[in-house]
Amino acid sequence: MTPLRLLIANRGEIAIRIIRACRDLGISPVAVYSDTDRSSLHVRLADAAVHIGPAPARESYLVAEKLIAAAKKTGATLVHPGYGFLAENAGFAQAVLDAGLVWVGPTPASISAMGSKTASRAKVMAAGVPVVPGMTTPARDAGEIAAFGEKNGFPILLKAAAGGGGKGMRVVRSAAEVPAAFARAQSEATSYFANPEVYAELFVENPRHIEIQVLGDRTGKVLALGERECSLQRRHQKVLEECPSAAVTPELRARMEAVAVAAAKAVDYVSAGTVEFLLAPDGRFFFLEMNTRIQVEHPVTEVVYGVDLVTEMIRIARGEPMSIAKRPEPRGHALQCRIYAEDPARNFAPSPGKIRRLRRPQGPGIRVDSGIEEGDVVPLDYDPMLAKFVIWGRDRDEAIRRARRALAEARVEGIETSIPFFLAMLDDPDFLANRVSTQFLDGWTYRPAAETAEQRSAAFVAAALDAVEAARVSRGAPSGPAGGGVSAWRTARPTFGVRE
Amino acid sequence: MKFRARLSGDGKDGEVALEVAASAPHFRVSLGGEILSGDAVSLRPGVWSLVFDGGRQIEVSLEKGADGALLARFGNARASFEMEDELSALATASGGRGASKKGNVVTAAMPGRVLRVSVAPGEAVPAGHPLLVLEAMKMENEVKCPRDGVVEAIAVTPGQAVSAGEVLVRLRADG
Repeated sequence: MTPLRLLIANRGEIAIRIIRACRDLGISPVAVYSDTDRSSLHVRLADAAVHIGPAPARESYLVAEKLIAAAKKTGATLVHPGYGFLAENAGFAQAVLDAGLVWVGPTPASISAMGSKTASRAKVMAAGVPVVPGMTTPARDAGEIAAFGEKNGFPILLKAAAGGGGKGMRVVRSAAEVPAAFARAQSEATSYFANPEVYAELFVENPRHIEIQVLGDRTGKVLALGERECSLQRRHQKVLEECPSAAVTPELRARMEAVAVAAAKAVDYVSAGTVEFLLAPDGRFFFLEMNTRIQVEHPVTEVVYGVDLVTEMIRIARGEPMSIAKRPEPRGHALQCRIYAEDPARNFAPSPGKIRRLRRPQGPGIRVDSGIEEGDVVPLDYDPMLAKFVIWGRDRDEAIRRARRALAEARVEGIETSIPFFLAMLDDPDFLANRVSTQFLDGWTYRPAAETAEQRSAAFVAAALDAVEAARVSRGAPSGPAGGGVSAWRTARPTFGVRE
Repeated sequence: MKFRARLSGDGKDGEVALEVAASAPHFRVSLGGEILSGDAVSLRPGVWSLVFDGGRQIEVSLEKGADGALLARFGNARASFEMEDELSALATASGGRGASKKGNVVTAAMPGRVLRVSVAPGEAVPAGHPLLVLEAMKMENEVKCPRDGVVEAIAVTPGQAVSAGEVLVRLRADG
């Protein structure tokens, strides 16, 4: 008998997360890959893999026909889209169903109802869910955006109607900025979501971004699984998430969960999804959007509530009821640091390249979800997220101490990463006192830690010892007991210190 | 062997002299007149663990940067520095350093793909004017003109992948 197979229409860490869920359920995982990803870890961990085209996502990970053909070729009967790419594309979900395959996610109707952020607001408003003032249809031109700003007051926020994950979002602070910002937002929306539609909404100053995890199954049951604090964002991209939020009391949690369940039920939601809210400093909260997919930050919910959201998604897709009767009580506190391939010392410029050395953090309270191994090349074609460090502690203080330990233990060399940024930010007094908002990081400047005098001496001594070793090797003399032969590094610089 | 080292950006006064009297595994190094000794192991290319005689352990990774400088990493911090042995230091001093042509070329600060070019050869552009847009890892980054000048040549075309340091635009040399 052929085993049950599931095709993962994604790459990187989320593809690996889904592979792990498949293994836990005894399902055989099938990967897909572009030219760039032939040697990527998600391919090597799968039972089967199918090449789907060149590096640009538009010619590979975003091509529905290729993904469905890959499922057919390998005998996969289930398709999990992960996040990003086609995860919230109702047309793809429908195409999967039309091909006789099982879609691991909400129905195409739920995806379209929530996929247009303008239509989704109208839908949830009808269910009594509070929303921030915003355009109810995509803007036809820059003039319409400017008119919205003049009417509701600047600043306003431009968003891709089909978007997510902060891509294509821009704050516009005056009417004069509208034409350029509109053009740029349309261009990014086209590149990432194959849809140029953009709309505007009021920009609430100093809010928190709080989201509620929901899970629905085909019996019509919808559970809310607590909140995630996602206020720490840079360029509208989340960088650190927490569960629970120190700003959410049990009473507020109950109210937000009830509203989230109402929003999900308004679209007959099945599978894992997330209802995002802005929480204003005065305690009011507004529906932002619903993400009809698994979220990047789902692990903090998993470790605090003791659920496995990805296996639940697969169970539910197969027609089984969810395995939990009610929401478990939260246990402890979790943080997730998104480790990006970017250089915090150079304004977070992308830093693709070869990972020469990788040491993962381990030990109590640490979970690492990543898509990389030592020796891998991080391509510039895709999202720069390398890994997620998910850290659990009995309370927020312990989780933060463990996060510091994990970040200090980790080594990623050959490329730059956001690890030093997190080490600095976890010492920030406002962060420690939980005085944060979505604007927190906009006003926060990373200052690289200066090396200590001891570290500087160690660097000079190590470099000198390395040069002595290299000189000995180049003379053909036997290397010392600790030399370990000719190293690639030394070969690359056999006459260390000579300037060309 | 004798060396001179200085942190990048430091002037001549930031230079420190090193002399290796004994190499790994039991090192003895004079660093600016101070004798440092201890136990050193190279775990793998460029990665060293030093245990100084006082007991202090420091793990350091060395790599060579694109500009020829060395980069030392310590997890929370990194330090860029230059080091040369004494003989080549003399050679450099007598030969001098090549004149910088930096003012006339605009280079890529990071790897990426050229999305679009906003200027044409012959065009006069003020400092801060957008020259082109580079895309890397889903972010669009505008490359701006570093000084007032006239575009002499565009070295790249839209769609082209570029690596860090690659020349994007040449500006006419100042008269």
